[in-house]
Amino acid sequence: MRLGAFALVLALCPAAHAELRQADQADGRLEFSAIQAGAKFTGAFTRFRIALDFDPAHPASGRLDVTVEVASIDTQDPERDEILRGADFFQVEEHPQAVFHAGRFERAGDGWRAPGDLTIRGVTQPVPVMFTLAPGAGTAVMKGSASLRRLAFGLGQGEWTSTEWVGDEVDVRFELRLQPVG
Amino acid sequence: MPARNSSLRYGWVAQGLHWGILALLILQVTLGSIADELPVGLERLTLMSRHKSVGITILALAVIRLAWRWIDSPPPLPPMPRWQSIASRLNHWGLYVLLFALPVTGWLMSSAANRPVSWFGLAQLPDFVAPDAGLKEVFEEAHELLVNVLYVLVALHVLAALKHQFIDRDGLLMRMLPGRRS
Repeated sequence: MRLGAFALVLALCPAAHAELRQADQADGRLEFSAIQAGAKFTGAFTRFRIALDFDPAHPASGRLDVTVEVASIDTQDPERDEILRGADFFQVEEHPQAVFHAGRFERAGDGWRAPGDLTIRGVTQPVPVMFTLAPGAGTAVMKGSASLRRLAFGLGQGEWTSTEWVGDEVDVRFELRLQPVG
Repeated sequence: MPARNSSLRYGWVAQGLHWGILALLILQVTLGSIADELPVGLERLTLMSRHKSVGITILALAVIRLAWRWIDSPPPLPPMPRWQSIASRLNHWGLYVLLFALPVTGWLMSSAANRPVSWFGLAQLPDFVAPDAGLKEVFEEAHELLVNVLYVLVALHVLAALKHQFIDRDGLLMRMLPGRRS
């Protein structure tokens, strides 16, 4: 499956000049976990793009942009996916993309924190994304996570606003390989 | 009434398990049948998750019941033709098998559908199979087939008990009812 491409300006060594990186996203994963009827399940988005422009020496500038095609949601349960794509959740016809943008980075333990804005279903909320970068030969592995509350974005209308059977908290995780552009 | 079985009557442990499991089975097939007819939505999710919790309860009671049967032998059968005692034994063991096979196929079906099972929201059960649409179909078919076998075996069980009580008048039904004479 061709999943698109993402770009990265990456300078893992502060002395090095920032490189633009691009990777094949086929081996990237963007997953989420939520609680349904008291049990945690995991789903994924199979189409998304990431662009990272990041210099650890100058974390106050740069950018992390993530665009997710929300119709690509896959919880390995066709009934649930249909509800999630529908009017009560992602409303994919009207809001085909979820977008995250951060314009600066902060040190957070061994990794980084990208305080940014996440827009889902036309609603924008501040959400920090935590991530780590591990360098490789010509590639870098980016792993990250974020936590959000689905109801803050209107994910769950009508009967689904109740959190008794579908939890409010959603944990997002991603892992992908980044390669230089060009 | 003593806890243990006598030569004439089941003790309160065996009787409690027998009638308790019957009450749960009636609740269980009712929940399952109603939920199965509902359109995909919160009400179906609610009833199905209760169906799963009750099913796991039945599975736990079936384990206790089988263990107790091993600890405390049932009273001997009243005199009857050999084919009847063989039929009785087959029917009872068939019912025991179903008390395990029905919850287990339901559990596996839930795991295969990526809808893990929670016991009343208190504990999430492990998944012994990974999400797989084909496997879900297999367990779903098996679950539905087994519940029909359950109806047949329960009907035979009830008809046989009534025949002993009202035609043979051998007092067999009294063995599973509380009474002064132990």
